Amino acid sequence: MFNQFGSTSETLSKASAVVLRIGTDAHLYDDPEDVNIAPLLDSKFESEKCEALKRLLALIAQGFDVSNFFPQVVKNVASQSSEVKKLVYLYLLQYAEKRPNEALLSINYFQKDLGDPNPLVRAWALRTMAGIRLHVIAPLALAAVSKCARDPAVYVRKCAANALPKLHDLRLEEHAPAIEEIVGILLNDHSPGVVGAAAAAFTSICPNNFELIRKNYKKLCQILPDVEEWGQILLIGILLRYVVARHGLVRESLMLSLHGMDSNGFCEKDGLVRDLTLDKEDGGKSDSFDVNLVNVVSKCYIEGPDEYLSRSSCPDTVTSAFDSKETTSIAHNEDVKILLQCTSPLLWSNNSAVVLAAAGVQWIMAPLEDVKKIVKPLLFLLRSSSASKYVVLCNILVFAKAAPSLFAPHFENFFICSSDAYQVKAHKLEMLSLIATASSITSILREFDDYIKDPDRRFAADTIAAIGLCAKRLPTIPTTCLDGLLALVRQESFAGDPESVDGEAGVLVQAVMSIQTIIERDPDSHDKVIIQLFRSLDSIKVAAARATIIWMVGVYCSLGPIIPRMLTTLTKYLAWSFKSEASETKLQILNTTAKVLISAKVDDFQMLKRIMVYMLELGECDLSYDIRDRTRFLKKLLSCKLASNEPTEDSVASQENIAVHVVEHVFGRKLKPFTPVALNDRFYLPGSLSQIVLHAAPGYEPLPKPCSFVFEEHDQLSDLDRQREAGAELDGSQESSETGDEDGSSDYDTESSVGSEFSSDDNERKVSNDASDPAAPLIQISDTSVSADQEELRSKRALDLWLDDQPSTSNQTPSAVNSNQSSYAKISIGDIGSRVKPKSYSLLDPGNGSGLKVDYAFLSEVSTVSPLHVCVEVLFENSSGEPILDVNLEDEESMKVADSSEQTLVGKANASYNNVPTLIPLEEISCLEPRQSAKRLIQVRFHHHLLPMRLTLHYNGKKVPVKLRPDLGYLVKPFSMSIEEFLATESRLPGMFEYSRRCTFDDHVKDSRMENGKDKFLSICECITLKVLSNSNLHLVSVDLPVANTLEDATGLRLRFGSKILSSEIPLLITITVQGKCTEVLNLTVKINCEETVFGLNLLNRIANFMVEPSSLTS
Amino acid sequence: MLQCIFLLSDSGEVMLEKQLTGHRVDRSICAWFWDQSLSQGDSFKSLPVIASPTHYLFQIVRDGITFLACSQVEMPPLMAIEFLCRVADVLSDYLGGVNEDLIKDNFIIVYELLDEMIDNGFPLTTEPSILREMIAPPNLVSKMLSVVTGNASNVSDTLPSGAGSCVPWRPTDPKYSSNEVYVDLVEEMDAIVNRDGELVKCEIYGEVQMNSQLTGFPDLTLSFANPSILEDMRFHPCVRFRPWESHQVLSFVPPDGEFKLMSYRVKKLKNTPVYVKPQITSDLGTCRVSVLVGIRSDPGKAIESITLSFQLPHCVSSADLSSNHGTVTILSNKTCTWTIGRIPKDKTPCLSGTLALETGLERLHVFPTFKLGFKIMGIALSGLRIEKLDLQTLPPRLYKGFRAQTRAGEFDVRL
Repeated sequence: MFNQFGSTSETLSKASAVVLRIGTDAHLYDDPEDVNIAPLLDSKFESEKCEALKRLLALIAQGFDVSNFFPQVVKNVASQSSEVKKLVYLYLLQYAEKRPNEALLSINYFQKDLGDPNPLVRAWALRTMAGIRLHVIAPLALAAVSKCARDPAVYVRKCAANALPKLHDLRLEEHAPAIEEIVGILLNDHSPGVVGAAAAAFTSICPNNFELIRKNYKKLCQILPDVEEWGQILLIGILLRYVVARHGLVRESLMLSLHGMDSNGFCEKDGLVRDLTLDKEDGGKSDSFDVNLVNVVSKCYIEGPDEYLSRSSCPDTVTSAFDSKETTSIAHNEDVKILLQCTSPLLWSNNSAVVLAAAGVQWIMAPLEDVKKIVKPLLFLLRSSSASKYVVLCNILVFAKAAPSLFAPHFENFFICSSDAYQVKAHKLEMLSLIATASSITSILREFDDYIKDPDRRFAADTIAAIGLCAKRLPTIPTTCLDGLLALVRQESFAGDPESVDGEAGVLVQAVMSIQTIIERDPDSHDKVIIQLFRSLDSIKVAAARATIIWMVGVYCSLGPIIPRMLTTLTKYLAWSFKSEASETKLQILNTTAKVLISAKVDDFQMLKRIMVYMLELGECDLSYDIRDRTRFLKKLLSCKLASNEPTEDSVASQENIAVHVVEHVFGRKLKPFTPVALNDRFYLPGSLSQIVLHAAPGYEPLPKPCSFVFEEHDQLSDLDRQREAGAELDGSQESSETGDEDGSSDYDTESSVGSEFSSDDNERKVSNDASDPAAPLIQISDTSVSADQEELRSKRALDLWLDDQPSTSNQTPSAVNSNQSSYAKISIGDIGSRVKPKSYSLLDPGNGSGLKVDYAFLSEVSTVSPLHVCVEVLFENSSGEPILDVNLEDEESMKVADSSEQTLVGKANASYNNVPTLIPLEEISCLEPRQSAKRLIQVRFHHHLLPMRLTLHYNGKKVPVKLRPDLGYLVKPFSMSIEEFLATESRLPGMFEYSRRCTFDDHVKDSRMENGKDKFLSICECITLKVLSNSNLHLVSVDLPVANTLEDATGLRLRFGSKILSSEIPLLITITVQGKCTEVLNLTVKINCEETVFGLNLLNRIANFMVEPSSLTS
Repeated sequence: MLQCIFLLSDSGEVMLEKQLTGHRVDRSICAWFWDQSLSQGDSFKSLPVIASPTHYLFQIVRDGITFLACSQVEMPPLMAIEFLCRVADVLSDYLGGVNEDLIKDNFIIVYELLDEMIDNGFPLTTEPSILREMIAPPNLVSKMLSVVTGNASNVSDTLPSGAGSCVPWRPTDPKYSSNEVYVDLVEEMDAIVNRDGELVKCEIYGEVQMNSQLTGFPDLTLSFANPSILEDMRFHPCVRFRPWESHQVLSFVPPDGEFKLMSYRVKKLKNTPVYVKPQITSDLGTCRVSVLVGIRSDPGKAIESITLSFQLPHCVSSADLSSNHGTVTILSNKTCTWTIGRIPKDKTPCLSGTLALETGLERLHVFPTFKLGFKIMGIALSGLRIEKLDLQTLPPRLYKGFRAQTRAGEFDVRL
């Protein structure tokens, strides 16, 4: 009966346990393989698939390899259920690398999901696809990422940012520029969440690409408080590194401001640690800093491991490493000011890592008087979890070492709680001994007194060591400390059997060592303490403590009046106890006796000698070979002493004399009064992993070299507008009139300085050609009328608004539109042809060429000689007062071969076989009268699409070397194609063959034509086309007009250009997409599809550069 | 960045592994870790950053479960630690605590959570309110549903609206029929009384905890009557820095539900509500102990659940302790706990008894530290007072509530 009840209750409790676990996945974890998983995976029910996947995950969690289910799992990626999908993704990520071939099966589904309207599905697909990490799909993944980087959903963009490091991890060199560009795009995102993730990507992909940061610096600072906490941590670091690289360290900061003091005579002679006590009147700071340590710390932050090693090999050169050029002042530097402003509220962050990162910035960059504001937030971090407490303490310790005064008033924060972990306690003790001052030392010592009685004896021993350190630092307290320590030694030595409690021994040893440390400072005034220690020798049983005291006997054997008189008794005692000592102590006894013997007075000498001989005999037959060795060594060394009868005997042979000297030197040496602080400690950046583990972790990078980041002035100026615009956008409230003023002035600045740079640096100059110039490159101008010069443009979805029934007229150029193309609505852009002007560069300056000025411009005509040649028009002009004779231009290479006129032909023949760049020479100009100009056509084959070609210019019998620079835009030729062909070709060149860049475009704003009521879209098209065609030899394939609801928004405008690379006939497609408002600066995305990656990328850069360049042709 | 996260049970079993990047971490690292922590004991377990031969390990221990993360490259260690803490918080929030059984029973949820919280070693979504929308926490209803219908996905099909907004901590449009907002001041008193009975350190660590159930997009302002007493503070990301800097007012758009708005510290308090007077005399191998606990300064509210716990020193072989009020328990690991509860009006609670020392020891030379625990409802001992809580747009039927409580934090009384 009762039994039955018993069993019922048992089953009941079992049942209740089951009930509690019902609905959880407990049974799956406990017995994942109790059913056959494979058929479940193929089941048509989602719930069964789900269960099977859960079982697989359970096996993964338990460490089993279940990759053999891969094919079946991959099939389920198509599932509609979000849970199944999620589980499949989890599984895929675990095994995709192992089963690359099967993983490829899933790619199609990802591609499909990437187009899903649900952002969560897109994000998951992107995360998984990038996470699969197969080289084969890297181009696809990159394409997906760059697409998602422009996704409307913030979450998807964030995932795109997170996917970038995954792609970067595959180490595909050819993708690096594209990845970095996407990082740039995402850093520029307006959503803080995306910026945070982009900061993470930046840190792991291109931490030194400061150009990306410079573009957005102000915006990043402003967005920093809104970024998610994890992003903040990294973004703070990025901004700090950027500012250091760009502007250098701050002169007023703690890192640098103490350099000056060092040389101004604040240096005290007797120690390296010194307190800089400035007068109260003198700016009111009475702070003490460890100057040398600050120097070392600031140097460590900057220098890499190589420099550290080279420095540590010659430690004496602790000199100021910072050039004044490499520093900046906070008063004048806006960037530094902003950085400090935007990081200081983050000291209130809820996330300890953010607080520490922000504190690190303030520590390095903030002016000396502001550094103290990091103290309280840092101390508050000590109230967080025990794990972060430890890390924070490690960092505070470094701060306190360099600037103890910062933390000195807050010593109470470092009092130890019983719940602290041992490491935390140890660090707190170190802190307390570092920051103790004359005013706080009494409270601190009373705390220490409590700690000594703590049950944790290891901690108690550490406390005693800390007392020693305090006494060493503060000269006022040693007597009180010594009394306490001596009492402790007596108490400990009487505290029963020390062997039973392991920790006690440590406490005792530490007490003796601390006493030693204190005595070391000033042994003369402490001889009574030493004597007390000697007296207690008998009661101290711990070998290490005994050894230390015995060592002290040797060192202080001639100190004061009393000690030398004790020596014979002491050594007798040591000889008596020698047999029972531990080997550590035995060694010390031998050494000490030798030292005592050396410094012995005449009357004790015989006695001591006898003791020594006795001990050497004992030592020779000791069990430990260490002691036997030591004994023999001493015996040999002391043989001269042992042989003599007097302690100081000069009447010995010279050879023995040397031996005496050696002995004197080995044993008679006194301690150095003070051991210098090790200045070779290595410090790492605050908050870094390396600072905790105390070695440079892989991937640790010190701060960049101050002012190592310089960028071209040109870029800076053209970027100025953009940057300020970003600022203005954020500020919003700024008055419009003010903005207008600023715009005007800076535009002027930009143009003027760009102009001057061109003339000085590059020797390039824009010349506006005459309107009558017959060689307009793309569109040949028929002389009939302006309205007849019309370029037909086709649009896929053009609107009626822009329909123009003008039939195509005089298009004889290579880019002529094929008239039998299927008809679309046509847009006509007005007299563009007349406005397309090739850019002309100068080959020879009249200043250098004694009046001869040579310019050249690239022509769009195709060379008659070979497809590899480019036609260049050279314009010679005589600006001097005298005629110039025999002007000719020749290839430098061919000059070397021969002088005859035929050699040019030979050269040409060679060229078609060799790779030597050749020149189809021009007709020689026999005489050029003053003010006369002549045009000649040359055809050039460039060896490389970036390298200039060296030519020699002859005139008046002189030879002048000149350089002909290739223009990338003319190393392609127009490729006439329909929009269908274009799209088909484009679709065949995805992924790695597609690269894009962003740039801005503002020609249309300056264009005065905007005002005469012309359609804005058309004029933008016109401007862009004009710009492109003026700088490169392309064929305009089509124009897509935006189907926008406002006429202001030009977003969606797309121009397509077709071309082929001259040398290889490989098609190269250019698509320019416009974003932004008609009346403002537009953002262009230039995309190139081409198999020839290197050429394509270079051309892309070229296009992006010239699109930004202010145009001089708009008049 | 983090490469892998392991969850270890208190016996060292790897319950879960989640690889985060392509560089897989073998679980043998856990075996190494566990061997080390067995051989080196407590000091290894309390070391949050460990340089193992192959990886850098970050560990936190929560209720016996070790959360272990690995990295091979430089990264901010606090970031890893804070993240692990966040994972532990979220898990215990979801599962109602963390222990071996709970994690094993809900391993799918743990996997799904980890997958949302971290992507490629970098934290992705850590905001609890958004995670709750993405992955439904297990509750009785969903459990029953899954038993009955056989399938109930806990993974949401749609992206939570908050994930993309500029206030990522708040779902875009929560709706409540009655709008309620509660503010709690929860304070902990940290104090150290040294062996001379002197109050060495006494400070308050406080948190402003809120529970907001408000419709729409509320903008709140909370101001204190005496903000100047606050020594340090840290804020939830929702708090705007500007208004605090200029006139010490908390202005914020609150998350939905419970959250910690800010934490603060008030230093240099002069008095503790409770006193502890321990006395110990030792002679000839036995010690007499007597501890008195009483009210020093009456806070005006009842002081509840007073406890006093201490660790007997190693050299004590046996203890005989009794009290005139409350109960005394001595555990096998020599932890002694005296549960007092409320202090009676008529007498002063007193713990007295003898300790027998190990043979050979005449007197005690190490002394325990007493940890005091207490709780006072309805008062914030720091003296911080909330002045007012304003909403920019008042919703209909708004209910505001304020509470306060103080308990002992790290309250050490040394003997």
